[in-house]
Amino acid sequence: MTKRNHFNRALVPTLALLVCGAAAAAPVKIGVLETLSGPQASSGLAYRAAVRYAIDQINAAGGWNGEPVQLLEYDNQGGPAGAADKLKAAAADGVQLIVQGASSAIGGQITEDVRKYNLRNPGKEMVYLNVGAEALELTGEKCNFYHFRFAGDAQIRTKALVAAMKQANALGTRVYSINQNYSWGQDMERAIVDNASAGGYQVVEKTLHDVNKVQDFAPYVAKIAASKADSVLTGNWSNDLLLLMKASRSAGLKVRFGTVYLDQPGNLANAGDLAVGHFVVHTFNAESAGGEGEKFVNDYKAKTGHDPVFIEPQTVFGMAMVADALKRTPAKGGKLDVNAFAKALESATYKSPMGEMRMRAADHQVQMPMVVSTVSKDARYKADGTDMGFTPVKRFSAAEASSPAQASCDMKRPD
Amino acid sequence: MDQFLVSLMNGLVYGLLLFMVSAGLTLIFGMMGVLNFAHASFYMLGAYFAYMLQDAIGFWGALVVSPLLVALVGVVVERFFLRRVHRYGHAHELLVTFGLSFIIAESVKLFFGNYPVDYRIPAALDIPAFSVGGAQYPAYRLLMGGIAVAMFVLIYLLLTRTRVGIVVRSAIYKPRMAEALGHNVPLVFMGVFGVGAALAGLAGAVAGAFYTTNPNMALELGVMVFVVVVVGGLGSLEGAMLASLLIGVITSLAVSVDRSLADLFALAGAGDWARSVGGLMTLKISSLSATIPFALMLLILLVRPGGLMGEKD
Repeated sequence: MTKRNHFNRALVPTLALLVCGAAAAAPVKIGVLETLSGPQASSGLAYRAAVRYAIDQINAAGGWNGEPVQLLEYDNQGGPAGAADKLKAAAADGVQLIVQGASSAIGGQITEDVRKYNLRNPGKEMVYLNVGAEALELTGEKCNFYHFRFAGDAQIRTKALVAAMKQANALGTRVYSINQNYSWGQDMERAIVDNASAGGYQVVEKTLHDVNKVQDFAPYVAKIAASKADSVLTGNWSNDLLLLMKASRSAGLKVRFGTVYLDQPGNLANAGDLAVGHFVVHTFNAESAGGEGEKFVNDYKAKTGHDPVFIEPQTVFGMAMVADALKRTPAKGGKLDVNAFAKALESATYKSPMGEMRMRAADHQVQMPMVVSTVSKDARYKADGTDMGFTPVKRFSAAEASSPAQASCDMKRPD
Repeated sequence: MDQFLVSLMNGLVYGLLLFMVSAGLTLIFGMMGVLNFAHASFYMLGAYFAYMLQDAIGFWGALVVSPLLVALVGVVVERFFLRRVHRYGHAHELLVTFGLSFIIAESVKLFFGNYPVDYRIPAALDIPAFSVGGAQYPAYRLLMGGIAVAMFVLIYLLLTRTRVGIVVRSAIYKPRMAEALGHNVPLVFMGVFGVGAALAGLAGAVAGAFYTTNPNMALELGVMVFVVVVVGGLGSLEGAMLASLLIGVITSLAVSVDRSLADLFALAGAGDWARSVGGLMTLKISSLSATIPFALMLLILLVRPGGLMGEKD
């Protein structure tokens, strides 16, 4: 017995020394796992710019545990296979927080891979910070303790869009739903149907089409014209949105578009005047956010060289919530205890220029303010170097924009 | 009926656009025996050149000068890249064009950014041609179709009715014999490559304004153009025309067909069973319209590997 005690007496200080040594060499590593090359790189690069900005802010405020937070970048090459590969690389590099946003298909792969990795490697867990993959299943059937979403979803976006367009008398009674045929587009279609009674409209027709393959939208526009719709609601992004709107304009169609991604850079420049009067639901509008918004825009522009648009604001706000959770997670043995961090993130809050945000623990869906804007030439902040910008129509607080947690989410927490 | 007419016309015009791009590709294939992977990049270059030039020399001027610039790029590519690797065989030529397509796409991103640029049809052309079924038909679409048809007629006459055409065809068919008769075959090859590139450039200048001019436009159209060339028969101009129109019309008409396999089973009284199976059974044809050309290509390769009008079996 005494012998063993002696042994312990000798061992404990040595161990403590070792732990202290490790403590100095274990900063938090955050890995951006985005599409940084190839045809879809533009969105990935935007996410990266926002994450870099947010990490610089965390480090300017002292980092975590007295050390700057490290940012590592991984290129998922635009597909789930590349993402799975690079996730392994990130795990090997000791990355504890994974950030990704572009594409729900890639998000689905990451959340599953992170879940499985955590099951197999207890004590070395990772967290997936989803800043933009908006498929409902990520907070539904696939929801898990290590996934957090800092963006909207189809239900949240459509609810706000419909309410604001109705209030602005721009919705009409006949709505055409056209979306891309994959998880996000299908979610949008369901949300558009679900909101029919709230918006007082009838869905005259629903169309799903291939993703980013259609060059010529004229046939779809002919279909919209034949349906005599008053407005078109769509979750389309990138070329699928731009080509659809251009085709309907050249057919002289008098429909109003309610969109989710009209604020993607390049859209207004390319669409020109035809964009005026159409709607977009987004997470940030500087004009609506007032002085705080102006401050954020100016600071972001000074640091990154461009305005915070499209998905950048939501990414910055999401990372600010991460910073809040990091601050409340004490180091354990000099390292970040990911389980403790995830628990802290479940109750994270942040006051963004748009208003109060908080994380909902039940399904890890952020509760954030939304704003619906319309394209006009009177907007205070012009977009894309054009004379047009986004004029706020209606702002929703986090509570107003919220939609209930999905019943399919069965969250299992570690003990 | 009105909607059917509009769909048909939409399909024809889209088909004619596909033809403008694939004509050059199929000509170059007929000549060199190599698929030019960079061909769709010439289409993209045409759009970007026109975008750059329109402020200085106007839309119509840009439409003329841009294809010439693209032809120049094509000539340089043939003279200084392809001719050097020609003696190493087809695989090397293929790889060179493949690499070029990446270099062109990345250079475009470097100079013009990742997002679509502000290249639009001029306001004077942004007018409806006529009205049918409650929707207007844009005049610009008719213009696109007209340019494509004029192009087809011109190339066809050039190849079949002129002395230059005879030399080109003989250089393609029996290059050594043509050379022995005193014709400068390398010059002919360079010329055909340049003209092929110019045709793609013209298509880009015309279509870039109507659709969007962005760094992915080569990728988006490129795949479809390969399908056209394979379906039509490699090297056949008439085949390319036929296949383009076929693919344009089929994709356009398919959009308005809201039927699924389950409806087919319903005819045999098994509709409820098919719907309960779900999956493929309930997939609407309209949601597959952009995929149908690939199915068509598969079918053609199985049934008639040489393509609809191809000579080589």
